[in-house]
Amino acid sequence: MELSVDRLTKQYGKKIAVDCVSTVLKPGVYGLLGENGAGKTTLMRMLCAILEATAGEVFLDGKEICALGADYRDLLGYLPQDFGYYPNYTAKEFLLYMAALKGIPREEAGRRTDELLEVVSLDEAASKKVKTFSGGMKQRVGIAQALLNQPKILILDEPTAGLDPKERVRFRNLISDYAAGRIVILSTHIVSDIEAIADEVLLMRKGKLVSQGTVPELTKEAEGKVWELAVSPKEAKVWQEKAAVANLRHEGEQVVLRILADDKPAEEAVPCEATLEDLYLYSMQGKK
Amino acid sequence: MELFRLEHKKLWRKNSTRICVLLCVFYCVVFGSFLVFQWITYGSTKENYSGNNFDGYENIRNCQAYVRKYGVLTDESLQEWVRDCKRLFAQLDEERKTQGAENQETVHKVENSDLHTVNAWLRTLYPDLERADMLGVSVMSNYVETEKLTGIYERREKAVDTFFEINNQTGAERDYLLRINEKVKTPFSWGWTEGWSNLLGSAISELGFSLAIFFAVVLSALFAGEWHDNTSALLLTTKNGWKKLATAKILTGVAFTLELFAMVAAGMIVLQLVYFGTEGWDMPIQMIKMIAIAPMNMLQAEIYEYAFALLGALGYAGVVMLFSALCKNHVLALLLSLAVTYGPMAFHERVPMWLEKAFDLLPLVGSGADVFRTNTYHIFGHYIWSPYLIIWVPLLIGVLCLRPAVKGWARRMRG
Repeated sequence: MELSVDRLTKQYGKKIAVDCVSTVLKPGVYGLLGENGAGKTTLMRMLCAILEATAGEVFLDGKEICALGADYRDLLGYLPQDFGYYPNYTAKEFLLYMAALKGIPREEAGRRTDELLEVVSLDEAASKKVKTFSGGMKQRVGIAQALLNQPKILILDEPTAGLDPKERVRFRNLISDYAAGRIVILSTHIVSDIEAIADEVLLMRKGKLVSQGTVPELTKEAEGKVWELAVSPKEAKVWQEKAAVANLRHEGEQVVLRILADDKPAEEAVPCEATLEDLYLYSMQGKK
Repeated sequence: MELFRLEHKKLWRKNSTRICVLLCVFYCVVFGSFLVFQWITYGSTKENYSGNNFDGYENIRNCQAYVRKYGVLTDESLQEWVRDCKRLFAQLDEERKTQGAENQETVHKVENSDLHTVNAWLRTLYPDLERADMLGVSVMSNYVETEKLTGIYERREKAVDTFFEINNQTGAERDYLLRINEKVKTPFSWGWTEGWSNLLGSAISELGFSLAIFFAVVLSALFAGEWHDNTSALLLTTKNGWKKLATAKILTGVAFTLELFAMVAAGMIVLQLVYFGTEGWDMPIQMIKMIAIAPMNMLQAEIYEYAFALLGALGYAGVVMLFSALCKNHVLALLLSLAVTYGPMAFHERVPMWLEKAFDLLPLVGSGADVFRTNTYHIFGHYIWSPYLIIWVPLLIGVLCLRPAVKGWARRMRG
């Protein structure tokens, strides 16, 4: 199975939301990273065939996805960013309704719904109305509905938003287990989530796909550009204004700054190992 | 089918649906039927005319019993009724003189005598006997010369003809209407008419007017509600997608319309049977309006009016679903839905005749009481009596709205 994106572009008036993105996605987990407005959601909506591209196409095994129609949607699981639900439905009723929309036979839908409610730890809240759920619980209902039809292509837009750390770990494990033989694309601002589960990362900036590769491959790009510098609190403020500071931590009287820079920012600065977050922030600075 | 079942369930789970159904049933069945039968319209008058007693059931029986003795409407039975009426009025006068007030029992007897209906006949059939000096002083049956009340059916034919003339219905149109009128069988059987008159003249014929608001509130959210719930992205990425869902939604809208209508109609019919029984079902509708031309009895007219309301409701459901599919905002869909029916209703009397007739073709705007009228439509050189047309056209409008509703929703969903 191969999902190829060919010069996909979406333009709203003069604004280009997605700018000529091309890539090939094979089974595995893909993390889509990018700041707000980078075009992640627009790209995902086009991959789901719910948004018409201004130019370019998406092919599944050589066939254009819009032409595949229901056959493509049958392979698809999608969790939108602003996940809508029916407030008066219970979690179970909502999943059964979604199962009917996905064309899952009634008996199978019942079984699958029970299974998924357990997987997302909502089995005890199955008969409670979704409107009474916390943000994290609603998000878990959203994840469950995306998995209902055991999709071959799973697209999750900010799936970990609203989940607490324990839930995030559960979710990451769930996706890792699930991903075998499937294409999973997820976007998030939480870089550690992507670092933990993504086989490949797609880095987007201003509608463009600026980098694609495995986490080690991408972090390699940031190698030699990450520095640590211990300064006084007063100097730290100055450094924050004149350099890209990825992090700061207090150590006794001093503040240790993590600086992203092509060249050694100061004599006392020491090079350190780059992480995906460093690359992400470095890229967002527009210095890449 | 499963999708329809779930969509239907979803609609009924909404609080707005439940509240609407409850209000509708209360308004039409409890307030519009039960209280009307038992108190508001058919309760006997309290002393000093200070409202009605809560005795509709018993009072209706008395009304039916009073008129039953006349059997068939002939010159003789009409004269007998007028003589009885005069006796009752004389008795009232006597009581006023001797006791200083009317006897409540006599007042009830007068009220139960179908006084308004028979006086309407007299004014229609014997206009030459009406006295201008008695207008507003006394009812015609109290002063008319009884022995001059003859040739009732010939008088009716003449009244129908005169009405056509006044209404400027001449030539082919007049001939067409007279052909319908020829099928009216005489003599007319005579029973208590006031109940049927209220029922067919307003209660059922205006049912659509009451139902429209409830249908609009529930169905305007059917499609547009998905925008409010922000579920379009989910729906579009499912195998069945918007197409099957749109079909399920339309079936749900139709099913809901049938269900609500059935609930209201069943409640009204049961109460009608309890209060009126079946007495008078075979009376011709001319007993309500002498110059009506439809060869129908009360039961047939009632069936027509219920069918008219049902088909109008189904047509209206189609229109509301179209607005719901085309608007992202369900409040806007609701306002448009209400405007399409209540707008023409509000301006009905103030527009030219041709426009009034066009309005009558809109779902729930026209009236089932057109069976009592002589309105026609002139289409492709043919005259068509309005009840034939106004029952089907609203349904047709509704059906024609369904395809654009599905297409419009699809277009909207795809942004």
